[in-house]
Order: sequence, then structure tokens, then C-alpha cells
Amino acid sequence: MPDTTTPPTVDPVAVFDGVVELIGGLVGDDLDILGVEVRADTAFHEDLGLESVDLVTLGVLLAQRFGPRVNLAEHLAEFDLDDVIGLTVGQIADYVTDRLAAG
Amino acid sequence: MPELKVNGLRTNYQLLPGTAGADPWLANETVVFIHGMGTDSLASFYLTLAPPVAAAGIDVISYDLRGHGRSERPVSGYTLPDFVADLDELLHALAATHPVHLVGNSFGGTIAYSYAAAHPNRVRSVVSIESEPPTDSWARKMAGILAATTQLLEVEENYEWIEATFGAHHRRLARLAGTRFTSTTMADEVATGAMMTAADVAAITCPVLSILGRHGYQSDDLDVVTALMPRAEVFVFDDQGHSVLVERHRAVRGLLVDWIRKHAAAPDQPVSP
Repeated sequence: MPDTTTPPTVDPVAVFDGVVELIGGLVGDDLDILGVEVRADTAFHEDLGLESVDLVTLGVLLAQRFGPRVNLAEHLAEFDLDDVIGLTVGQIADYVTDRLAAG
Repeated sequence: MPELKVNGLRTNYQLLPGTAGADPWLANETVVFIHGMGTDSLASFYLTLAPPVAAAGIDVISYDLRGHGRSERPVSGYTLPDFVADLDELLHALAATHPVHLVGNSFGGTIAYSYAAAHPNRVRSVVSIESEPPTDSWARKMAGILAATTQLLEVEENYEWIEATFGAHHRRLARLAGTRFTSTTMADEVATGAMMTAADVAAITCPVLSILGRHGYQSDDLDVVTALMPRAEVFVFDDQGHSVLVERHRAVRGLLVDWIRKHAAAPDQPVSP
């Protein structure tokens, strides 16, 4: 049966801040030491020095924070390697926002 | 993140339960993904094959080998029996009571063959991706590759060359492997000790699927590797080097789910035709 309810209101800025907070936990003190400001175009691997295995951890943290509809691993399984390598914080936040807005 | 002490080492793992009701025929099947050596971690499976395999209804276990990913990195203790013992303890700790399908990439496949030989009752099938059993021939090849790689990664200027030739991502991976190889005895140890004879390999009785790249690490002796296991099913990707898993993951996904369906145990409640 089609869902006729109104999709929940999602604040993309709040989602972005939430994603940045979780990533900050992964990077730890290095973020301050490196003086990196996490922006939408900050690359997960290149700029933050994180590994793919950290992306797996982030996926688990995102599901804990935003609910099981947010399944980053499933989303990334459709990507090619180059897209995963170049993944930005903004792309991750946009994915979360889209999943939450899908209701 | 989920961690266990395995043989005294902090071990990072991830469980992905199979989607309930997706396929009753697969309800009792468990896949264990075993990644490769050096730059690899559980991510190369978790971000490619794990979600679609779980969506098919199969339980998935992924873990970081000792010295890799977010698992502990001891200075020494990297013989094949160490890795096999880790896998055995992990499976016991996670109470994987049914025999499992071991799916190994590169060195991970070699671990899978060793485990299947040592614990035949705990393995339903082996799927190896660009790997071969640990014979003397494998040990010579592995020792050569690891010695050359370690030598390359000990020289700082080579990282510039790697970036210029392959890109920044490969420089990061090389740095990762360099750290793992130069801070541990991994590269010196792994190809030492008793290897499997042709008779040992022939004694592996579970079904085996060997997925290879035409131009991968087995390209020099594709026929020898294939002849070692005459009962194995072999699938070769043409125009493909060693990175079968990351470059062909969509095709491997299909091969894998079909394979597990074919080699699943009878479910508790048979499905009507």
C-alpha cells in the first residue's frame, strides 16, 4: 500500500552536523592537530586520512544515530572503487538526509 | 565497534545477519569473509559483497586479520597456523554452529584452504578469489612478492613514484602496507613452516570454487593451480589482474550467491516446489 503520510521534516544542516560529529569521533584528536575543518567537500580518505575500514565503522555509527534505514554499506556496495575512494562528507550527509526524508 | 579477544589479540569484526524470510533455503547458511594481506581489511568485503549476500538471506561474518584494519598488530606471530587458529577461535566465540562457507580474497583464500584441511567438519564450502592453497610453490611465490614489496616500501622516494604512477590513493595504501610490513615480522614469517602437499590439497573434500583473474597472481601457473584441485569449479575473468574482488564485485556477487544456493544444507523446513 502506498505511503500517503507526509515525509518527516529533515533538517539537512542538523544531519550534516551529526555526521561531522561522528566522523570527529573516528578521527579523534588528529582533527584538531591537523587543523582540518570538515566541510561538505572534505574527502573521507584523502583529507581525513581515514581508511576504508573506518567507513565500515561510520556506517554502524550512522545506523545507531539515525536508524536502520540508513545503511551506508548497502549504499556503497553499488559504488565503483573510484567513487568510494573519492567519497566526501557532503555525499555521506546527503545520503543520510535522503534516506530520512524517504520516510 | 564489535571486538573480541581472539588468541589474546583484540579482533575487530562485523556481523551482518541475513534478511529474515528472504530465502528459506538459505536461512541456515553463514558466509565468513577473509580478506588479504598488506593493504587489505574487512572493508573490501563489507563494502562490496556483504550487503547483497545478507540481503539474499545469508548470515555474514567479516573480520580484520591480526595485524590488519582495526585488529591488534603484534610484532610477531604471523604464520599460517596463527591465522588459522584465529579463525577457529573467532568462529567458536561467535557460536557459528553450522558449517560455514569460507570466502577468501588472495591470502584470505589461502587461510580458507588451510582451515578447510584442518577442520573439515566446520566448512561447508570454500570460495577463493585470486588465491591458492599453501603449497611449497605458493610459499616461494609469496616470499618473493613480500620481499620485493617490503624492499620497495622501505625506500621513502618510492612513495613519490607510486603516487605519480598510480595516484594518491595507492600511495596511502602503500604507506599502510609499509607500516604493517616494516613494524612486524609478517612479511618474513607468513611463507615459512610446513606447507600442504598435493595429497593434502586433494584431501580437501568440501566443494571449492576458485575465482581467478587471467592476469592475476596465478597467471603463470593457472593450469597447475587448477590441476591441484580437479574437483574444484574454476571461473576465470579474462582481461583481469589480481584485483578481482574490487574491480569485479558485481559479477562475483552473482557467482557467490548462486554457489551458496547450490551448496546450502537442506533447510529445517523444506520449501514447497
